[in-house]
Amino acid sequence: MSRHLLAIRQLEPTEIRELLNLARDFKKRVVAGQDTTVKTRRAIGLLLFENSTRTRVSFEQAASYLGHRTVNFSGAGSSMRKGETLKDTILTLRFERLEALVMRHPAAGAAALAAKDFGSPVINAGDGQHEHPTQALGDALTIMERKGGLDGLVVAIVGDVNHSRVARSNAWLLTKMGAEVRFVGPRTLMPSNPAKLPGSVYYDLRTGVADADVIMCLRLQRERMDDGLLTSVGEYRRQYQVTRSVLRSANQDVLVMHPGPLNRGVEIDDSTADGANSAIADQVSNGIFVRMAALHWVFEEAKVAAGGKA
Amino acid sequence: MRTLLRNGRILDPSQDLDMVGNVLLEDAQIIELGPETSGDADRVIDCSGLWIAPGLVDMHTHLREPGQEHRETIRSGTMAGAAGGYTNLCCMPNTSPPLDNPALVDFILDRAASPDSGGIFVAPVGALTVGQEGEQLSDMAALKRAGVVAVSDEGNPIQNARVMMRAMETCLQIDLPIMAHCEEKSLSEGGCINEGTMSALLGLPGIPRTAEEIAVMRNGLLSLNTGCRLHVMRVSTWGTIEIIGRLKDLGAPVTCDVCPHHFILTEEEIGEFNPHFKTSPPLRTQVDLDIVMQGLAGGVIDAIASDHSPYASHEVSVPIEEAPFGGAALETTLGATLTYLTHPGVLSPLQTFRKLSTTPTEILRLDAGTLRPAATAVAQIVLVDPNVEWSFDPQRTFSRGKNSPFAGAEFRGKVVMTMCGVEVYRDPLFDESRFATPVA
Repeated sequence: MSRHLLAIRQLEPTEIRELLNLARDFKKRVVAGQDTTVKTRRAIGLLLFENSTRTRVSFEQAASYLGHRTVNFSGAGSSMRKGETLKDTILTLRFERLEALVMRHPAAGAAALAAKDFGSPVINAGDGQHEHPTQALGDALTIMERKGGLDGLVVAIVGDVNHSRVARSNAWLLTKMGAEVRFVGPRTLMPSNPAKLPGSVYYDLRTGVADADVIMCLRLQRERMDDGLLTSVGEYRRQYQVTRSVLRSANQDVLVMHPGPLNRGVEIDDSTADGANSAIADQVSNGIFVRMAALHWVFEEAKVAAGGKA
Repeated sequence: MRTLLRNGRILDPSQDLDMVGNVLLEDAQIIELGPETSGDADRVIDCSGLWIAPGLVDMHTHLREPGQEHRETIRSGTMAGAAGGYTNLCCMPNTSPPLDNPALVDFILDRAASPDSGGIFVAPVGALTVGQEGEQLSDMAALKRAGVVAVSDEGNPIQNARVMMRAMETCLQIDLPIMAHCEEKSLSEGGCINEGTMSALLGLPGIPRTAEEIAVMRNGLLSLNTGCRLHVMRVSTWGTIEIIGRLKDLGAPVTCDVCPHHFILTEEEIGEFNPHFKTSPPLRTQVDLDIVMQGLAGGVIDAIASDHSPYASHEVSVPIEEAPFGGAALETTLGATLTYLTHPGVLSPLQTFRKLSTTPTEILRLDAGTLRPAATAVAQIVLVDPNVEWSFDPQRTFSRGKNSPFAGAEFRGKVVMTMCGVEVYRDPLFDESRFATPVA
């Protein structure tokens, strides 16, 4: 049985800690210019059914630091456009001798489905509105570096929670590691029944971020307005934009985060995005190290399963 | 040729009959039943320990032919129906093309009557609008003359209330019931599972319960006002049951059915995105299940239907968001009903067959649902072993659809023989020693 990284919800706190420690270690070595390549070089498939330059580049960088080869597949030119099922695509990649698959897909659960047929490790790089585990790990690493840890922190996740895989993965990770999570946003962008999600719900931004240690902005998809979920971008901006004045309700050294790409002037204003509290650049950097950790971690288990001889 | 079903528990809701006795058939017809039967028989089947009931009538089957034969055919579907204890299947009109003209009705009836089909009756349900597009009413009088027993737009229900009202007025005129899948699409569009804890957890687009309830209320009020017979298919929420109860109290000619997955399974079953638990309407919550049980026991829910929705396996090996709604169910509905309703005492055995056979017969005015001698064209009988324990293996069914939320489920109670004029199905586990040919 291969080890996969499909959802933070399925991970034990010890596994999360293990991944974060690995990432920290890789970061140290990369920054120090030490060799990070592994003995067994692998062929990693990057199967992205949604356009995502930053995730692809981040995984390519991570794989390259480890000495793995990456093979890119994009949804646009794929055989699935010719009517092939996801299952057959996955089986084909399996028989093309790819040894791990990084997958992004617009449908929730797609990575889990791929994991059933692929036979080797699968890393979920975002499945619909479900989860985006490596984003959450990168965010956690960033917070830990700036705050010293996660336990006891108050984290406000602001914006379109319902449609956000970043919000779900982060909420699971942060609460599993002892932080308090608050979801902040308009009712129309909240899950209708968030009781099972690990966090409390706030509809008012200033109450939601009161005494927060971290504010995570979520990207607002403009098409939500066409769905009737927002009356206007202007109204959203008035009520939920994270600005310097909003930061005053939070802790003084509050960390401002955003998974990118940013809608400057919508969910976050310019000066906050680039200000002293912002950790947005670190999030991008750390994305590489947690992806190195993820690629290492999924193969570690394969090694154990093979009797430690790999 | 005379056949004697001897010493079984006869359960006939049409006569309020629950007794141990014999049923005597001559050729394809029941000629006598009771504690003692007179006359000789050429063949005797020992039915001790078995239930003898009217063949089941399914109000909601998809036979997929014409046009979707990779999912099911009339032959495979009727064979699965016979194996599930059914002697009548009402097939839904969302074939390709949809069943909106008499020629297609003829085609289905011909296929069903063909010697290589499953040997049971098929009662087609015609499309309510042309192409099931919800706009222009189909020629329902012609469809009725061709043999449809009801009209429905099934999973593509009429959204425009004015069109629905005109449809009801027309159906009242020609005395044809409307079978309605109630769904307000503006609320459910794009949805995948129940809007609730699981949709929040898994990031799946939800279908709110109000999408069903609003449509039930609208259609129910239109039925109350027009007088048209309305049968609400596959109810799933506690609100729907409350609304239908109220409509019935008001005197609306409304009936409804429920499918086993809606009285057994909750949204939690979706687990890690299992597409076999994606149904329409979606699986709801334990609260809904509890009220559905009350609705069954209290009589608000009139019938139990299978909602047999077979798909080819490649169609369900996809992410749940892209998977179709529904599962193959003809061979699990009786087992599921006996296990979850009859044995726990929610329904008596007689009430069970009322909901599975007699009431559907009455709603759709079919020639079925009774063991009364010579009451139907041919004898329609199911023999059930109420206590045999078995596990459902979708790979070993007659249906081409192997997608089922009950794959691997354990049931207590099973069809051992189905007769529709002649024996059309016998379970491999049926003990051959039960047959005897009397010495002259």
